[in-house]
Amino acid sequence: MNFSVITTQFWSLVLQGLALGLIYSLVALGYTMVYGVLRLINFANSEVFMLGTFAVLWVEIEVLGHPVTAKPLAGFELVYTLVIALVGSMIACAVLAVLVELVAYRRLRARGAAPLSSLISAIGVSIFLMETMRMFTESRPQTAPRLLDKWSFGEIAGANFRIDTVLAIISPIVIFVILDQFVNRSRLGKAIRAVSLSEENAKLMGININRVISLTFLIGGLTTGAAAFLYTTVYENTVFNVGFNMGIAAFTAAVLGGIGNIRGAFYGGLALGMMEQFASAVLGSQWKAVTVFVILVLILLFKPNGLFGEAVQKTRT
Amino acid sequence: MNKKIVSGLAIAAATTLALGVVVSSPANAAAKKSVTLAFQGPLTGPDAQLGQDQFPGAEWAIALYNAKNPAVKINLIKADSQCDGTVAANIAPGVAANKAVIGVIGTSCSGEARNSFPAYKAAGLTMVAPSASAVSLTDPKAPDRGFPIFHRVVAHDGFQAPALVRYATKGVTSPKIYLVDDQTTYGAGLIKYAIAPAKKIGVAGTDSVPRGTADWTSVASKVKASGANVVIYGGYTAEAAKFFKALRDGGYTGILAAGDGVNTSDFPDLAGKAADGVRLTAADVPFDSLLTAAELASFQKITGVKVPGLYSATAYNAAQVFITCIEQGKLTRPAIQICVKNTTFTGAGGSKIKFNRYGDIIGGADVGGYLVKNGKIVYDAIA
Repeated sequence: MNFSVITTQFWSLVLQGLALGLIYSLVALGYTMVYGVLRLINFANSEVFMLGTFAVLWVEIEVLGHPVTAKPLAGFELVYTLVIALVGSMIACAVLAVLVELVAYRRLRARGAAPLSSLISAIGVSIFLMETMRMFTESRPQTAPRLLDKWSFGEIAGANFRIDTVLAIISPIVIFVILDQFVNRSRLGKAIRAVSLSEENAKLMGININRVISLTFLIGGLTTGAAAFLYTTVYENTVFNVGFNMGIAAFTAAVLGGIGNIRGAFYGGLALGMMEQFASAVLGSQWKAVTVFVILVLILLFKPNGLFGEAVQKTRT
Repeated sequence: MNKKIVSGLAIAAATTLALGVVVSSPANAAAKKSVTLAFQGPLTGPDAQLGQDQFPGAEWAIALYNAKNPAVKINLIKADSQCDGTVAANIAPGVAANKAVIGVIGTSCSGEARNSFPAYKAAGLTMVAPSASAVSLTDPKAPDRGFPIFHRVVAHDGFQAPALVRYATKGVTSPKIYLVDDQTTYGAGLIKYAIAPAKKIGVAGTDSVPRGTADWTSVASKVKASGANVVIYGGYTAEAAKFFKALRDGGYTGILAAGDGVNTSDFPDLAGKAADGVRLTAADVPFDSLLTAAELASFQKITGVKVPGLYSATAYNAAQVFITCIEQGKLTRPAIQICVKNTTFTGAGGSKIKFNRYGDIIGGADVGGYLVKNGKIVYDAIA
């Protein structure tokens, strides 16, 4: 037990918890969007994330030619490099997510397979992607070049507002606001919500179910790709099984917030990030996972649908 | 990868068995012309560099022996257990089932060794490890000890941990030490033996962080809050790189130090700028310092490695132990075991190697201190 950390490092932990939690939230969206329309967990989402991190490395190192030992960039070059890496990662993840849907879900659905079959085929795709990357990289961790120098805006109450931390907090919030507006206001967003409420009725209203499902996977892929970019920019490394821990964390975040619910994913990720930071700071890192899951079980005991489960019926994706 | 090795070994074992049955009498009549040793350690995976640095030492020793055109040639096969106990538990039975294998040069990591023991003990297969240094492996009271098959040509962490504490705090005024381990057999063991000497100096705090953790910022915050000016990490390269980066990015300016698990040639690349000035130890001196110019040229030619990596000297010594026994005509697993237990061997640089009852070298060894300078790990002084 180390409570002195709280008094001296409270705001620092909050800030880091926000950054970590919001990256979780973005990946959690990949789970929650798909769950909203299909009532299935897309287990391949963790590997979509993994591929996204490698896409960022590929864009930065191979396409834009910044070796691992490159000096940090500045000015316009920095901005367009980061934007290209972000867009590259989002496109790669979105394409992969849609492909996963085509391979692991659509065909099984068209043939009227039991829902659990898709669950297994998604796990199969996930293992395939992970093992392929293991072979390509010989299971070695890969380092990203430090293109974004980690300068700081300054310290407030012990919290260090470092550029990468700030980036990892602001960009997910922007993405969430856009997504929330899209789902609640646009025609396609309405279609997604209609399918999630009742597939049968949506079909009767003339909504193209397959198109909506593909679109959902696409959006989940886009947000997961953004998460992969932020992860690689903040932590500067990846490995073939990076998706495993991230997948578990993001899935936990989605369940914590109320799976199938966009705002639930947002707050679930935040809550998880905070809990991890404070549990490992106060109790020791060895207690982090234990604490997080004890709290998760307690919350589910009292709110079986997650923190925002009540709202699920109204704002279901 | 591992499955491939296991199934490959299984097929090899099955073939040997089948052939043995079919052509038993001529096979027995013919003189045995070659034996096989297995090198077991991480050859792929996050900590592959550890094994990749060591393998050339064993490879070179055996190439030199085979070049002398002996009556019995030695084949060297690789068993990749990725510095991971779970992987080791899966591949060790395959190695043990390969009847041609009469000895194991390995393992590199302590967790690998521990989880290989059940298979090798049952098969009576002798191990000589170049770098598995957890104390429990040779502790007669430990439930996971490797007696009687396990031996190592490296000083255990009971020697290395105090030396690491000494080296990490060298020249630091009023040191306050923060100790972090990675929950592995090696990492937790190293820190366990570092805590007692560290307490005499001043401990600011401890933590234990599982491998695979991405976000180290909370640990970095804690280190900062504790006011520590020396951080000692017990673990392996991949995690150390993430941890040290998070510490430096978080504004920590004190000393960073770690044991031989981090002393691999890929560490400076993975940790980038955070690697600068990191203090590392190893119960090993650089192999090239023990070789003549001609020997070094031969090493480079045979292995294709320019600068011998860490623990290539001990891997060479481990191979030398088996070579000496094979030269004495000990070609079966039981004969090798008796020979390894009772013989005094000559290692690199003319050092004498003799094992005690539980597999440790008698007399221990010096622990070297290394520094990261300009992206390279350089030997500094005796720690």
